[in-house]
Amino acid sequence: MIKTDNLTFYYNKEKKDAFSFPNITLKEQEDLLILGKSGIGKTTFLHLLAGLLKPTSGKVSINNVDINSLSNNKLDKFRGQNIGLVFQKKHAIQSLSVLKNLEARLFFSKKTVPNSEIETLLQKLGLSAFKHKRLNELSEGQLQRLNIAMSVIHKPKVILADEPTSSLDDENCKIVVELLKKQAKLNNACLIIITHDSRIKPFFQNTIII
Amino acid sequence: MNIWKIALHNIKSKPLYTALSVLTLALSISLLLAMQQLKNSFQYQIKNNLGEIDLVIGTKGSPLQLILASVLHLDNPTGNISYNEAKKISNTPSIKSAIPISYGDNYKGFRIIGTNKAFKKLYKAKLQKGRDFNNPMEVIIGHTVAKQLKLSIGDTFLSSHGLVESDIEIHDEKFTIVGILKPTKKVIDRLVICNLESIWDIHEHEEDIDINKNHDKKEHNYDNEITALLVSFRNPTGFLTIPRIINERSNMQAALPKYELDKLYNYMGIGIKTITWIAYLVLIIAGLTIFISLYKMVKERAFDLALLRTYGATNFQVMKIVAYEGIIIVLFAFLIGIASIKIVLPLLLKTIDLGFKVNLLQQLPLQMILQIGAIVFVIMFLAIAVAVHPIMKMKVSEILRNEK
Repeated sequence: MIKTDNLTFYYNKEKKDAFSFPNITLKEQEDLLILGKSGIGKTTFLHLLAGLLKPTSGKVSINNVDINSLSNNKLDKFRGQNIGLVFQKKHAIQSLSVLKNLEARLFFSKKTVPNSEIETLLQKLGLSAFKHKRLNELSEGQLQRLNIAMSVIHKPKVILADEPTSSLDDENCKIVVELLKKQAKLNNACLIIITHDSRIKPFFQNTIII
Repeated sequence: MNIWKIALHNIKSKPLYTALSVLTLALSISLLLAMQQLKNSFQYQIKNNLGEIDLVIGTKGSPLQLILASVLHLDNPTGNISYNEAKKISNTPSIKSAIPISYGDNYKGFRIIGTNKAFKKLYKAKLQKGRDFNNPMEVIIGHTVAKQLKLSIGDTFLSSHGLVESDIEIHDEKFTIVGILKPTKKVIDRLVICNLESIWDIHEHEEDIDINKNHDKKEHNYDNEITALLVSFRNPTGFLTIPRIINERSNMQAALPKYELDKLYNYMGIGIKTITWIAYLVLIIAGLTIFISLYKMVKERAFDLALLRTYGATNFQVMKIVAYEGIIIVLFAFLIGIASIKIVLPLLLKTIDLGFKVNLLQQLPLQMILQIGAIVFVIMFLAIAVAVHPIMKMKVSEILRNEK
């Protein structure tokens, strides 16, 4: 499903601050935890996987497509359809309500999902009562659950989460990790979490430390 | 969900900025349209209402007043001149036609003008219903008069003295409507026309009463007097000789309507030009406001825009979201601008109504609206394009990393 091949990335060639990343291969429904301290290129790795950055060398394939061989517009569309991203904090548009955010997410990935399915997802994530609320009216925990909804509503092949639990308390941290794993399974997607938060280590068998 | 809707939601999330942008832009658009309309209306008045009148002969005084009163039927008439003397001038060979007009009364604010049958030829007006006036106290009325007062052939009315509607000074004689003119969109539409004798008759009777009251007799000596003579020349040489002869050798004056109205237009033009420049200035300020509003969005909500990219939006789609926001504001402002001149400008002119039942305002031609629309469009396009431009170089990865 997702496969990387000798990925390296230079921010600045003169300074030679190169990052090189381990090769990973994940199949459907598999998950992976990538643990590491700050400043060692975790986010860079995630952005390379999502095609938000172009690697200096190496290759990322998702669903057997070399994403770096795609044109910019095609890559944007490919990302929209096949990848769900979860960030530490907000991951939705401020001026839109919860429901409108999900609709916008679907619009840009050119996917249609029946309203009942959106409703079910919101219910599972405990957001039904808040679907007409704007982001600034939501709590931290609700926001993170919305992030999860945004990353799975379009049924992606790969879910990439960047520090999804860092700003949450222990209880919410557990809820979020379990929800992420569950939603990934439900959607037949593989899940990659990149974090420095070792609280979530027990939830994963497959762990890489970089 | 689509891009327009997202743009609309973005606009709704900052009502203050939006209101400010819309209002400044609408203000400049309505100012531009209003000035254009005034200019246009004025030029139309000059061009159309002159008809074939080349020269106006009246009593000495302000030539502009003479023209405004006798040609546009706006200002108060000047004093009278002797009909006999006027007739002598009419016989000059270079004069094609000389039409006497005489004022004195109005009916519900519409001027009653005593003249001859040739008057309506000046405006190429034709009868729609009925016949021409043949006898004293018979009138034909312009289209606007008939429409506004709901008058038809056979109706009679009493005139009131002076040129402004009043209930106090009403004459005893009844006028009978014998004809209604077709619409001409010229000044004749709002006139009531009868022969000279009708006017003279009315005021003769009045004079009898006035003498008893020991009234100033001279002012009411209307017998065989007219207000002005409207002259059209057979050939241009008339312009050279006749005005000079009249102005130098008689107690009358000759005024050239075209010249006087051009002069008036030039006076007014200064005001119109100044306001037009102010309107352009406001337009530029509106452009800046919209630019700032959108640029702020591009910078402050960079994270939101970067997120859209992770949803699968292309760079172009993100640009469209911001640009549509500007377009919605511009369209909205344009509608408000047009609506306000359609409603506010006529109201404004009504409040400063001179009491002459005139409709100076011409409809603004679509072409003018399009012209101003094009100018507004170009400036707004620049404002939007410059504001949206940074999105082209948006570094999604960097923005997401920094906002985390």
